[in-house]
Amino acid sequence: MLIEIGHFALILALVFALLQVVLPTLGLIKGNFALIQLSRPMLWMQFFWLLVSFAILMNAFVIDDFSVKYVASNSNTDLPSIFKMSAVWGAHEGSLLLWALILAGWSVAVSIFSKRIPNGVLNHILIVLGLISIGFLLFLLITSNPFERLDIVPLQGRELNPLLQDVGLIIHPPMLYMGYVGLAIPFAFVLSSLIRGQLDSTWLRWSRPWTLIAWAFLTFGITLGSWWAYYELGWGGWWFWDPVENASFMPWLVATALVHSLSVSEKRGAFKHWTVLLAISGFSLSLLGTFLVRSGILTSVHSFAADPARGVFILGFLILVIGGSLVLYAWRAPLMRSNNTFSWLSKESGLLINNILLVAAMFSVFLGTLYPLLLDSLGLGKISVGAPYFDAVFVPIMIPAVIAMVVAPFLRWKKDSLSRVIPLVKSIWLGVATLFVASFFITDNKFVLFAVFLFTWIVLHSLSLLVNRMRQNGSLGLAFIGMILAHIGIAVFLLGATVTTQLGIEKDIKMEIDKPVTIEGYKFIFKGVDSFKHQNYQGHKGRVEVYYDDDLIANLNPEKRQYVTGMPMTEAAIDPSLTRDIYIALGESLEGNAWSLRIYYKPLIRWIWLGGLLISLGALLAAFDRRYRAVQRLRVKS
Amino acid sequence: MSISMVMWFGLMLTVSTAWVVWYLKRPLNDNGLDLQHSNIELGRQKKAELQNDLDQGLIDKEQFDQAQEEISNTLALELEQANITTANDTRISSWIWLVIVLLLPVLSIYMYQQLTTFSPVSKAAKIDLPPLSLEQSVVKIKQHLIDNPEDVEALAVLGMSYYELGQTKKSLQTYEKAYQLDPKNPRLLVEYASTIVSANKDQFTDQSVVLIKQALEIEPNSPDALYLAGMFAVSAQDFVLAKGLWNKALNALPEGSQDRQALISILDELKRVESGQVDHTITINVSISNEILAARSADDYLMVYVKAAKGRPMPIAIQKLKLKDFNGQIVLSDMNSVMPTKLLSQHGDVLVVARLSKTGSAMSQKDDLQVVSGVVSVTDNPEITLNLN
Repeated sequence: MLIEIGHFALILALVFALLQVVLPTLGLIKGNFALIQLSRPMLWMQFFWLLVSFAILMNAFVIDDFSVKYVASNSNTDLPSIFKMSAVWGAHEGSLLLWALILAGWSVAVSIFSKRIPNGVLNHILIVLGLISIGFLLFLLITSNPFERLDIVPLQGRELNPLLQDVGLIIHPPMLYMGYVGLAIPFAFVLSSLIRGQLDSTWLRWSRPWTLIAWAFLTFGITLGSWWAYYELGWGGWWFWDPVENASFMPWLVATALVHSLSVSEKRGAFKHWTVLLAISGFSLSLLGTFLVRSGILTSVHSFAADPARGVFILGFLILVIGGSLVLYAWRAPLMRSNNTFSWLSKESGLLINNILLVAAMFSVFLGTLYPLLLDSLGLGKISVGAPYFDAVFVPIMIPAVIAMVVAPFLRWKKDSLSRVIPLVKSIWLGVATLFVASFFITDNKFVLFAVFLFTWIVLHSLSLLVNRMRQNGSLGLAFIGMILAHIGIAVFLLGATVTTQLGIEKDIKMEIDKPVTIEGYKFIFKGVDSFKHQNYQGHKGRVEVYYDDDLIANLNPEKRQYVTGMPMTEAAIDPSLTRDIYIALGESLEGNAWSLRIYYKPLIRWIWLGGLLISLGALLAAFDRRYRAVQRLRVKS
Repeated sequence: MSISMVMWFGLMLTVSTAWVVWYLKRPLNDNGLDLQHSNIELGRQKKAELQNDLDQGLIDKEQFDQAQEEISNTLALELEQANITTANDTRISSWIWLVIVLLLPVLSIYMYQQLTTFSPVSKAAKIDLPPLSLEQSVVKIKQHLIDNPEDVEALAVLGMSYYELGQTKKSLQTYEKAYQLDPKNPRLLVEYASTIVSANKDQFTDQSVVLIKQALEIEPNSPDALYLAGMFAVSAQDFVLAKGLWNKALNALPEGSQDRQALISILDELKRVESGQVDHTITINVSISNEILAARSADDYLMVYVKAAKGRPMPIAIQKLKLKDFNGQIVLSDMNSVMPTKLLSQHGDVLVVARLSKTGSAMSQKDDLQVVSGVVSVTDNPEITLNLN
């Protein structure tokens, strides 16, 4: 019965989403305040029923209620409790319910923490968010009902995909969705402004902190996903240009451009076209990512659904959202005129270059991701677009963007001069000097040397900006500190990604017991393999001792597991550190007592995720700048 | 719907309706912020920030003046765009009250009923779950049959489960019961007939033939019934009839389906049986000396193939595997033939070659080791030994 209550709660959530849209809209038409103000209470009730629905579904997993098809397909009695709970979002229906819940959560946050936005503006925003909620709730209930029941209840369920039975699954999807779904907020701000025909300072000022928070979560979610794929998939990689990875990366690129464009629009009233289009694009790419994953077009570890009906629904929703937004944009474009000019050498031009390059990078990823699908759908054959394409196209676009990132913070708004700027960026010579030192003592790999140069230049410049500002001002705003941190985060990521890709070592080795193998000064001694049995899997566990300079530095135990449903899995063993990872995956049993092992030496790999964390932290700090917290001294209308 | 479920739904609807009514009667206060004044205040803040930049030397006076003017112009534009509408009316007309109070429960229940039937509950058999053990299946189905004694589908599944468990008598009894309930179900008829045949050591009894005929009368194009009828024809040595029935079944099967592929193979086999063709095999025992094994890696390839004694040197049939996977003997048959139009069985005198290769390349390499047999005849189904030393 509880399941039917959960089902009914989901329906009530949809009804309240409908009321959230219809009643305030009616109030706006009739000038009736009592109806207009209903947007917030209807939203809160929608959130409440979604929470009830979600809690009941989670309870169904915990108590092994296999009368629910979704539970039976994604859980079994042997699954540890923590993974039963996280299995709620381990497949299609549950992850979509999480999507809807997070959207409602974001909407509630906007409704509560927007005390400085006039209610007239806020109601419009909530109406737009309500429309999006309706779309997703309808999709859930009609095509992807998580509460569908089974006639004959199985005694045992199927298992959650072993790849997803990991602590990474507990955190990664919710964080990613916080970012994905969070892009609906700036989208709603923009759309409400377009509908009202008022593209003014208010929406620009108050949409920026929400955009920053969404971007922070998206960055964190992607970083987490990369880390999880690294240690869980057993391939030693951290980014595969997998279509679903790309589906989260594209909105990230656009959101990055958006947060920069918003700063220009807010400060100088320029770039409004850019800001509007970026806000629409960011959320549209989130929806597109949902379409790519849910429709079954892709097959990867993330693809849960394989039902074309779902794809058609999302495609229709996508067309409605994107098409409708662009029509509104075209209609209101004349309102976005600005007479504020700027020189070719100015902060605005630097940020314009930034926008152009980020959007170009997004399109390069977009093309590489969708082109194979397009060819396949037209019956023109199957091709694979992978790392070689993305490395060749994406990386060269991002390099000038990184350089622009170093120079632009030094530039003045509106107009600057070379004579003032050049001395400020003189620390480039320090970067060049570091490059030469590195070439003698570390490596002659040109990509690594270039990355070292960029890293040094970015960090030195960022620190000099900080010092200059402190000298002038004495105090620093959170927005400024956030910017510095985020830029340093980019530098850290860049160095880590380049060094690990270029200087990392991977070896497939046949290892015999007590016969050492040496890689990069590390000695590996294989001690054998033991069989074991766990709650819902059994397998083999290897024992490898790792020495450096004859000191034992790690005992690593890579595993090969067989889950109760027959799914095999590799659990790599990792000795982590900030300077390098030693990563071992167990291969196959060979003759005698020998086994094949794959050993990776990965220098600076953790800098990749450290960089991501710094970027997220920087964004969060910027979102809480005093500008967004200061009490507005407004005259209350009489 | 049970009474407790109705009560719960009623409670949820009451809470929801009460919530709406509450906020209609006691609307939330407006925060009193006005869009125009908000923009004006933001304009003031921007000017203050600009002044701060000037004081810190981040901009010069000319830039300050220009930027100030731009802020003023932008503000003027925003105020021009602003369309101020006031919504002071808080009265709710009675029809709106009625709509809201009625709409919520009616819409919710209507949607629940529609969506519950729209997404029908699925039979366990259609769910891609790991199968229950047979014993578990039997228990579950018998429980189900207590409440649904005339569920023919369930009886058919039970009958199959009994058969798999080796309880042939119970299986046949269950199928008979299902048959009595639904004698016009072609799928059931075929399953029952098939079980009778299997229980009789693949012999077609009169009862099984009657069932097949009944199935074909009801559904003349049933692939399963046609297949079984064809098997009966083969058992009666009527290959022409069998071929006709199976070709008819082939027409009813979709392109690319596994059943279709299987039926094509059976028809090919029938063709060969008719023409007197029989499968031949060659059994090769390969003995590799210890010295060679020590000098080679377990990942080296062993290729054993057959070529014509006279004529082209290209392999007729071949097996290739790693040394670590080799257990001492290889059997080559038509399944290993390189070309489907030139099967091993169609050849006469051949040579057998065993080659040890690091690369596994088809072309012989410098450090490959090879041994060739004498001429053997395929039709003798020979067993030979090759020594690599």
